[in-house]
Amino acid sequence: MRPLSFADLLRRRLVFTVGKGGVGRTTVTLGIALEAARRGQRVLVVELEGARGLEAALATQREQVHPPAWLDRIEYMMIDGRKALEEYLGLIVPVRRLLKTVFSSNVYQYFVAAAPGLKELMAVGKLWYEAEQRNPADATGARGEHQLVLVDGPATGHSLQYLRMPRAALEAFPAGLVHREAERVVALLRDPEATGVLVVTLAEEMPTNETFEMVSGLDDLGMHTATLVVNQVHEAPCTRAELDGLPIADVRPIFRSPASRGRGKGAVPDAATLLAEIVARASEEIGWAEINASHVQRLLARIDAPLVRLPYLFNEEFGADEVGRLGAMLAEQLDARSGAEPAPRPRGGKS
Amino acid sequence: MAARGIDEIAELVRGHRIVVCAGSGGVGKTTTAATIALWGALQGRNAIVLTIDPARRLADSLGVGPIGNTPVRVPDTVLETAGSDAGGSLAAMMLDQKGSWDELVERHVPNDDARRRILDNRFYQQLSQSFAGSQEYMAVEQLGELDASGRYDLIVVDTPPTQHALDFLEAPERLLDFLDRKIVKWFVRPSFSAGWSTLRTMNRTVGFLLHKIEDATGVTALADVTDFFSAMSGLFEDFEPRVQRVTELLRDPSTAFLLVAGPDEQVLDQADYLVAQMSARRMPLKGVVMNRVHPHLAMGDGEASFERIRDLVAEQLARLRPASAAAPPARRVKTARRPANLASGAADAPLADRLAQNFVAYQARARGDEVRSEIFRQGLPRSVPLVLVPNLQSDIHDLAGLLQLHPFLFAGTSG
Repeated sequence: MRPLSFADLLRRRLVFTVGKGGVGRTTVTLGIALEAARRGQRVLVVELEGARGLEAALATQREQVHPPAWLDRIEYMMIDGRKALEEYLGLIVPVRRLLKTVFSSNVYQYFVAAAPGLKELMAVGKLWYEAEQRNPADATGARGEHQLVLVDGPATGHSLQYLRMPRAALEAFPAGLVHREAERVVALLRDPEATGVLVVTLAEEMPTNETFEMVSGLDDLGMHTATLVVNQVHEAPCTRAELDGLPIADVRPIFRSPASRGRGKGAVPDAATLLAEIVARASEEIGWAEINASHVQRLLARIDAPLVRLPYLFNEEFGADEVGRLGAMLAEQLDARSGAEPAPRPRGGKS
Repeated sequence: MAARGIDEIAELVRGHRIVVCAGSGGVGKTTTAATIALWGALQGRNAIVLTIDPARRLADSLGVGPIGNTPVRVPDTVLETAGSDAGGSLAAMMLDQKGSWDELVERHVPNDDARRRILDNRFYQQLSQSFAGSQEYMAVEQLGELDASGRYDLIVVDTPPTQHALDFLEAPERLLDFLDRKIVKWFVRPSFSAGWSTLRTMNRTVGFLLHKIEDATGVTALADVTDFFSAMSGLFEDFEPRVQRVTELLRDPSTAFLLVAGPDEQVLDQADYLVAQMSARRMPLKGVVMNRVHPHLAMGDGEASFERIRDLVAEQLARLRPASAAAPPARRVKTARRPANLASGAADAPLADRLAQNFVAYQARARGDEVRSEIFRQGLPRSVPLVLVPNLQSDIHDLAGLLQLHPFLFAGTSG
């Protein structure tokens, strides 16, 4: 089987990004959306109730001085399980006034709170609904018709909770409407041609451990890990041998009491001190590069999915451009692996 | 003059019995909690860390097996290895929500049959796995129990990573809402248990909806729910005073909340929100630990350019290594599978170029970290100290790593 190209990924109906908290899921999600949009793909980016990171990051893109026109291809939606449930009940009970009374009743409020996983189930149902609505079966893959639904999933455990619900519903409700609909959702989630999961991680101890849990959780659900995205990979500027015999500064506590602020910028260190600091920074990077490399090895040994590496960016600020750059790198790596034609680079200042 | 943040964190840990580490995911909460508990033990206290997901390697290096639902004592030899003869102790305990719910049921439902009925109930099995907030509630519940046991004079809590970092704080009240006894009673009323049809005649509107739900779902699930509440009704009676007690404990003057963060925009946005919410809820935020800060090296009036740094390094290298100065640059070992776009500079560039490029890039990031940390500090109440922990060149998950952090968290008091 030909490895997945970026274009293949964009032809999916639903793509989830999942991973441990703090590994950069939202950045990766938005990076993919930007690169997809730049290549002409329409995308609906979704985040689930309670999260606000994606909305804020997308706003940063739109607030640039000269936002590219293709940003308009990205649509945003927040999915709230409770609202999705009301929408769903609206479909089966088409009497508005009646529903309003029901929704404000204590019993209903309690039912929603008490029924385990109901909100999660409804959120996934809503995702399924959006993916179906936006991708008429006969037009899959047709550029301009197809709209990718790209979901910025919550942290590992939470994501698995969401993805597990349709199957739990199948077991809990052996017959009836919910059973039938859950069946369709499960079928979509399990179809590797329709649904892709990107597991984002850092090449560090805890995120790597959690990635193994995530991938085996997905396996249990019969879902397919499309790509493993290793974020913030450090690169050694030199070998340890090259630093042999050079002076190296110790890491010191960072004192920054209010009193020490604003008292000038500090003296220029002398050349020997500066060299020791420069060597210390290089050594720190070598250390992280080694840690990253060893965990990448662990990931490669245990997970059978294409692995993409995104570099740690040493920018003063992580802004609108950086997100797009990472998305482009991810796409390039998938394409290089699959032998797909590289997409034309944008003209102008964007790197 | 006010003490520097770094001394104040030591003071904070010394002056409190319970330290709750809060913050968003991936900022080093688990590590921070573990290192604080270890420090407390080295200072002679009977410390325990209540953790979420300890790395197995951390557990191994502390000389404890898999950390479970009951406290595991770290062998004293480990503390001695770490250089302590203060007579303290360290224990660790892991939160496991599923086990905890089961435990709660086992403890409060004495009757074998009733207990079986709950544990085998499908609704319960789902609830105990997926009820939002149950993990947070259990954390608070276990905290209350540890405190009541009187065995520890320092309890460090690593809060669950959640979408809303405040779930932990709100869990007790939310659970109380969930178990609102009026509604529970309504559920366990005999007429209700008898079937949904009774209810339908009572309230036509609700009845209509329930009829629809029944059609959609099948009745078994609803019977499970009713059965569950009947079986659990005794247990609920007990919850309110427990929740009350635990809520009070969180607001007690001997409890300190420590915010753990990192100098990244997204993390600090969440941290800002958390600080505001804590103050609105009278949760005592008493300190902030900012992990993985890239230390910025002051360079006089401005930042040195790449060229200046490169020339300086080249000059120093020539002085230190006169023999090799004229030699061609060392060949780097090509790592397999390295994508081309990861190379931040030509791999065969002179060492001075590569070192300078790395340093200049690092300084840029460090400047950003400094500015972001400072702005964050200015938004904090004046009484809340903030300590910046430098980025270390290791991923910390062992005893040596935890000890390595002490000079940065508690400078002047150890190491």
